[in-house]
Order: sequence, then structure tokens, then C-alpha cells
Amino acid sequence: MKKPQIAADTRPWRDVDAKPFVRIANVTKTFGDVYAVDDVSLDIYKGELFCLLGGSGSGKSTLLRMLAGFETITSGTIEIDGQDMANVPPYERPVNMMFQSYALFPHMSVENNIAYGLKREGLPKGEIADRVAELLKLTRLENFKARKPHQLSGGQRQRVALARALAKRPKLLLLDEPLGALDKKLREDTQYELVKIQETLGVTFVVVTHDQEEAMSLATRIGVMTDGKIAQIGEPQEIYEFPNSRFVAGFVGSVNMFEGTVTEDEDDHIRIASQEAGCDIYVGHGVDCAPEQILWYAVRPEKMVLSRERPEGDANITHGFVQDVAYLGDMSVFRILLDSGKRVHVTQTNSSRYDPDAISWDEKVYISWASDAGAVLTS
Amino acid sequence: MSTGVVQPRPGRIWGFIANALRRMGLSGRTAIILAPTLWLVIFFLIPLIVVFKIALSAFAMGRPPYLPMFEWGADESLTITLHFSNFLFLVRDSLYANAYINSVRIAAISTIIALVIAYPMAWFIARSEEKHRNLLLMLVILPFWTSFLLRVYAWMGFLGRNGIINNTLMGLGIIDEPLVMLQTEGAVFVGIVYTYLPFMVLPLYTALVKLDQSLIEASADLGARPFVTFLTVILPLSLPGIIAGSMLVFIPAIGEFVIPSLLGGADTLMIGRVLWDEFFANRDWPVASAVAIVMLIILIIPIMLLSIAQNAVVEKNQ
Amino acid sequence: MRRGLALPIIAVLGFAFLYAPIISLVVFSFNESRLVTVWTGFSLQWYAALFQDSQIVSAAILSLQIAATSATIATVLGTLAGLALTRLGRFRGKTALTGMVSAPLVMPEVITGLSLLLLFVAMEATFGWPSGRGFTTIVLAHTTFCMAYVTVVVRSRLIDMDRSLDEAAMDLGATPLRVFFDITLPIISPALISGWLLAFTLSLDDLVIASFVSGPGSSTLPMVIFSKIRLGVSPDVNALATIIIVVVAIGVAGATWFGMRKPKNR
Repeated sequence: MKKPQIAADTRPWRDVDAKPFVRIANVTKTFGDVYAVDDVSLDIYKGELFCLLGGSGSGKSTLLRMLAGFETITSGTIEIDGQDMANVPPYERPVNMMFQSYALFPHMSVENNIAYGLKREGLPKGEIADRVAELLKLTRLENFKARKPHQLSGGQRQRVALARALAKRPKLLLLDEPLGALDKKLREDTQYELVKIQETLGVTFVVVTHDQEEAMSLATRIGVMTDGKIAQIGEPQEIYEFPNSRFVAGFVGSVNMFEGTVTEDEDDHIRIASQEAGCDIYVGHGVDCAPEQILWYAVRPEKMVLSRERPEGDANITHGFVQDVAYLGDMSVFRILLDSGKRVHVTQTNSSRYDPDAISWDEKVYISWASDAGAVLTS
Repeated sequence: MSTGVVQPRPGRIWGFIANALRRMGLSGRTAIILAPTLWLVIFFLIPLIVVFKIALSAFAMGRPPYLPMFEWGADESLTITLHFSNFLFLVRDSLYANAYINSVRIAAISTIIALVIAYPMAWFIARSEEKHRNLLLMLVILPFWTSFLLRVYAWMGFLGRNGIINNTLMGLGIIDEPLVMLQTEGAVFVGIVYTYLPFMVLPLYTALVKLDQSLIEASADLGARPFVTFLTVILPLSLPGIIAGSMLVFIPAIGEFVIPSLLGGADTLMIGRVLWDEFFANRDWPVASAVAIVMLIILIIPIMLLSIAQNAVVEKNQ
Repeated sequence: MRRGLALPIIAVLGFAFLYAPIISLVVFSFNESRLVTVWTGFSLQWYAALFQDSQIVSAAILSLQIAATSATIATVLGTLAGLALTRLGRFRGKTALTGMVSAPLVMPEVITGLSLLLLFVAMEATFGWPSGRGFTTIVLAHTTFCMAYVTVVVRSRLIDMDRSLDEAAMDLGATPLRVFFDITLPIISPALISGWLLAFTLSLDDLVIASFVSGPGSSTLPMVIFSKIRLGVSPDVNALATIIIVVVAIGVAGATWFGMRKPKNR
């Protein structure tokens, strides 16, 4: 598979000799007979902003809580900076957490909330004051330091929670849905702020989120979780363009999935006969598969092209009726019904302001895609 | 990162307390569980067992006024004597059966009256403006904080032969002779309803305030008249509140002693009063214990109903 | 729905039903006549009579002492029970503790009183303690049924409280004991105060249980009142009632004001 080439030195996970900072090895957590986390192994490197992405009940929060020490591990080990965390209680871990509910102490001022961890550490008063002032500045809360949490807006509370979690200069910061409680506009601004702070301080972040867009824009790497297992680990682009399973392809972004059977299996290409697609699918690279094997071809809506005339070629071209067009401004989404009964989504960028000849409802159209447009999935 | 390594240093005092507990061989966790559990075993569970034991002992003149159940014989034998006579006595003497039936009847009627009064009140509070709700609720609860005994006493002044009601009615010329209201069963109903009304209003309010206004609107929108909406939407949804409130009135009313003895007549038999007399007037501890055991058995079903209703409320909230 | 007049009228009648007897108690405490139902003129003589009645005064002092002691012990035990039931996960005997802690709430007073008396008699016969009945036995009995109420109040506050507050403190380096005193206790303190007040009131108000477990010379205030009013209405009891009502009204109003001023801690 072709992957984007970027300097390896900024990406320690590409370096086989790099030592991981957090090592999660075969970790399992059961509640009764329910496997909340099922044999998860995962390495996270220093300075990373790692996102655990998954739906509710996928086990991502449980995994985070095990890193913080709030849940015991049923089996497996967690090491942070080379130290086994098995018998280390939460209050002795070099880890801090930003809670989904923020968990700001309601009876303490902003200042005292931020200073709380430093006081427990037993730092001298002057140093605590300096550190708190520094964090108030970093999170732009200087004018609110005497307020109680209930006197703050949602965005301000979020920044207090962040400042408090950063105060002890933890080696690892855990963030549970850090932007979940903010509205859309605020979320976008805060996203960039979070990345900026992470880069400035060089702290390793592990973020739990259910929002794939948030994960894509924040993360150095994403771990997609489902049913307590890690489905795929990779850089955002890798997850989106090279999903390793139907679950990941469908969970991250929208996708058109065609089931088919392998008819040609060569070193440099394969051909799939797909009744669902209504045409042959030609894949321009070799795939680890066998003839007659049933597999799936996943292609993103924006990788497909619509035309009234049939394009050249004997594969990757099918046709159908436009059932519906949703105009979203920057692009339009076409819902097209193929002869097989399969419904396909195709998006087209609206590059001109007004196109009188645009494809519309009830038209018969051809859909085509390039030989490297989609991913072949065997599971 | 400069001094990035976090060294936890628990405060000296807390460390000292924790260590002291550990030295006594007690983890904090065990101590927290053990203290209330032991207290309740000694002062709640064991007393009930003692009541059960004494209910099976024979009455005797003396201190304590019952015969021992276990006796060690000279030949190291253990004689256990169980006297079921106390329970047989309860069955044979119709006084007890009447008292039980009467208690259940009076408690049930009072509960229904309280429900009929409390439901509109709870509904009114739940539907009033939010800023007024707490004040109104406080007004419902406030009497509860004043002395129960004195509130019952207040009704003696109201209902008596020369009481406020009779004086007012005679003053207005509506009646010539004072009505007999005190020392009647009616006065007992009034007393029970009055005393336990807050316990009925509160659970009803809790159930009704959570009822979404849009459910009522939806029902009206779908063509239900107000009364039909009440029967088909409001009533079923407030059922846990109705059950909880009813049981909170019914259960204490069964064992009530003060109200029947102050407001009721000599013929208003209620089981709490019978137990009291058996104990204080006749000093028959075994029969009093047997009366208590039978009362507990009667209360099992209402108590189960109450806990089901409360669990339903808890589940809904989760 | 139609906003008819029926509902407010029923509600007003309901409130009138709740308050009319209390108001009449207060009004007739200032009456000159011995009759508590016919107004003859304003007088404070029944208040004077009340404070001269040494039996009532000493019973009131005893009752206040008992109520303060048992409310305090009940608050400690009830808080521990609330913590055990909400914060310690599963343990052996949890169901039993849950049952035992709520059972006194539905137990008829006559049974609680009888059973505790029988226990105290048996304990005295076996261990020689508590010798005789009086202050100690009443406190033990009142603590037992009051702790059930405190547990209910504290437990529901603990359930409402965001668990992640405790976790956040622990995450920031506080040991469990420290978490309890820094975070949990301040946040549940309103529940502790209302639990204590509830326990205090219940203890002060109890006639039946105290009658069973008290001994000669240790009559509580309700016991003295009961023996007085059994014989009929008496105006000094009205005066006493008025004092209690005024104290309670001030207390509740103060608590409400305090509660409204204080932001909701969630």
C-alpha cells in the first residue's frame, strides 16, 4: 500500500527502535461477564497527541480510566515511562486527567482549583503562586481567578479544567471528551488552542472522543475502538484512506461499500466481480487474497465521479438514477440508486456559483472511480 | 519540563490517622462499613429477635415478667420451652382481631382521604411557577417540623365540646347543641390525615413535577379531553408516587398510638394502642410481643409495595 | 389545559387545613381565660406559668440534651452508612445493611420502642449495662431510628454528587482520606446539616419510643406534655407550642434563606 512520505524523525511510531512512553500490553477489563476492554495492546510515544476514538460502550473511557488508575486492570500490564502502574494508586501516578464533566470543585475558586494538585504535592507557597499565575495566563483566565466555577461560562470552565490538570506538569495528560460540552463554534477554536498548548508544553496527550472530526483534526495518531478492542491504529490520513476493516471504513467518514468476489489475483492488480456495484472493480495494486474469495471494496463519496456520458473503460464504471440531491453549500451530496438496488452516495464540490447544466433528480448517470480510489477489505 | 516528577506527599495529620487505623488492623473501608452495621445489628436486628423470643415465652409475675425460654437442667440437658399460647390468646380473644381489622380499616380510609386532598395540592404545586414551587413545598413541610404531639393537641381544641368549631357554629346560630366530634372515629381520621398529609404530598409532587408538560400537550393534541388525559397519561405516570405516598401514610397509621388515644374514643380500637395498654397497663410483655410480631406480619405487604414503588422511581431517575 | 379555579381553591383549602390548627394554638396561647377556645383578652400569663413549671423546664432541658446527643451520633453513623452504600462498591453484607438502615423508617414506633426496651432489659440482665433506663437508653434508641433518616438524606446527596469530583482530587494527588475532608465533606455538608436538624427534630418530637425506654425521673418533654393533655386542653401547652413554632419557623426560614443564598453545589 502507498503511504504518504514524511520525515520519520517527527513520528517515533514509525521508528522500530523508538521506546514507547506508555506501553499498554494485553490489557483486559471485565465488569462481571462483560468485557469492557478486551486484550488491548497499544504503545504511545512521548509528545504524541493520541486519540482513542469509538462509540459509547467501545471501552475507550474504561481504558483511559485504567491509565488514570480509577479502574483496576483485570489482566495485562500498563507501563508509564518504564514504570509498571499495577499497584500505583491514582494519587501517586505521574498522570493527570481532564474530566468530561470537568469535575471542578464547586466550593473552591478558580485559583484554588488550579492550585489544588500543587498543594497536595507540598510545594512552597511562592512556587504555587507562580505556577498558578503562569497557568492563568496560558489559559487566559487571569480576570476570573477569584470566581467560583458556577460563575463561569462553559468555555471558561473547560479552560480551568485544563489548567488544573496541567498544573502538576504531568508526564501524561488524559482528556475525556475535552470538547464534548462545548458548542460547535467554540469547539473549533478550542481544538486549535488545545493543540497549541500541547505543542508548547510538550506533554503527551491521550484524548478520548466519539467525534471523528475532532479526532482527525487533533490527533497525531488515532486508535479506533469497538467492543473493547482496538480496530485500527494509525495516523488520521491512514485511518481515513486505508481503513483495515468495514467497521473502521464506516465509522470514520461516510463510505460506499460493495461486496464482490475475486476473479483475477495478480501481483500488480486484482479484479473483483461485484453484483452490488453492477460492474467489475479493478484494483491497481496487489492484494493478499485468493481467487473466489468474497471481499469488500470501500470507496469514499468524494472519490467518485458523475457523468452523463459513459466514460472509457471496462471496470469501475456503473450507472444509476439520481434519487436525491442535497445542496450543502460547499458541496452537493447525490443519492443514486443502482440497478442492484444498492444506494450510493457521491459528493461533488460546487466549484462554480451557478451551473445551469448540473446533474439533477431522476437523471440516469454514470459513476466511475480510479483504480486506486478505494480500499479492499477482507473483514 | 523542569521538576516534572510528581512526588505525592500526603499531609502529616492524614497520614498519621491512616497509619493509626492501619495499626489497629482496620482499613478505613472496613471501619466505615463496620460501624453502622454493628450499631444496627445490636440496636435493630437483635431487639427484633428478642421480641420474637419473648413472644414465645410464658407470662410470669416478676421481673422480668416472663419465663426463660432456655433452661439448663442439672443433668446438663437443655430444655427449650416454646409457648405458642400468646399467639393462641390473640386468636381466641376477639379484641385483638377487632383491633387489627379496625387498624387496617382506619389506616386505609385515612390513606384514601389523604390521597384525595394531597393529589390536587401536589398537582397545583408542580404546575405553579418554578420560583413559587419551593416556597409552596416549604409550606407543606413546615408543619412537619413542629411537634407532632402539639399538632394533634391543636385538634383537641378544634373538635372539643367547647371547641372552636362548636363555638363558631353555635355563635352563628347554625346549631343549638354542640356536636360530638372529639373522641370519635372521625376525629381519628382527621388526625391521621392531618399528620401524614406532607408524606403524601411530597412523593406525589416528585412524580408530578417530573411529568413533562409536553406529554399533556401531546395527549390533548391527539384528541384527549383533560379528564381522559388525566386517566390515561397523568395517573399512570404518577402511580409510583401514589403508591409511595399511600404506603407512607398507611404504614405508620397502622401502628399509630398517639392519635387514637388523644382524639379517638374508648371504643376506637387500634392495635398500637392495644400493644401500649398490654405493655404499660397489664405488664404482659409476652402478649405485647406477640401483638408486635403479628403487626409486623401485617405490614410486610405494604412495606414491599413501598420498596417496589421507590425502586421504580430510582430506576426512572437513572 | 384550562386553568380553572377548582384547583387553586382545593390547594388553598388544603393549606388552610394544614395551618388553621397551628394558628389557633398560637392565638389562644395569648388568651386570658383558662379555656383555650373562647377569647377573653390578651395575656402573657401562660408563658409565665410555663417557665415556672419546673417539671416542664427540666423535661425540656433533658429533651434538648437527648436530641443534640442522638442527632450528632446519628449524623456520624448515618454518614458512614451513606458512604458505605454509595462509595465502597460491593461488599459482603451490603444488602443486609441496605435493608437494616431503611427498616427503622417503616417500623411502627410501638414496635421499635418495645423491642429496644426488651433488649435493654436483657442486656442489663446479661452484662449489667445499661444499668437502669434513662438518658443513655433514650439516646441509644433515638440514635438508631434517627440514623436511618440521616442515611437517606446523606445517601441521596452522595448519589447526586458527581463521582468525578472525588476522582479529580485523587488524580491531583489527594489520598482517599484527604479527598473525603477536602472535597466530599464540604460538598455534602448541606445534607449533613439538614440530616442533623431532621434527627434533632425527630428526637425532640418522639413520645412513643421514649416512653418505652425511659425510666423513672427521666421524662422527656413530649412525655410530660402527653400526660398533661391526656386530661384535656391546657393553655400553658399552647404557650409551649407557640415557642416551638416560632423557633421552628425562624429556623426553617433561616435555612431557606441560607440555602437560596448558597449556590447549588453540583
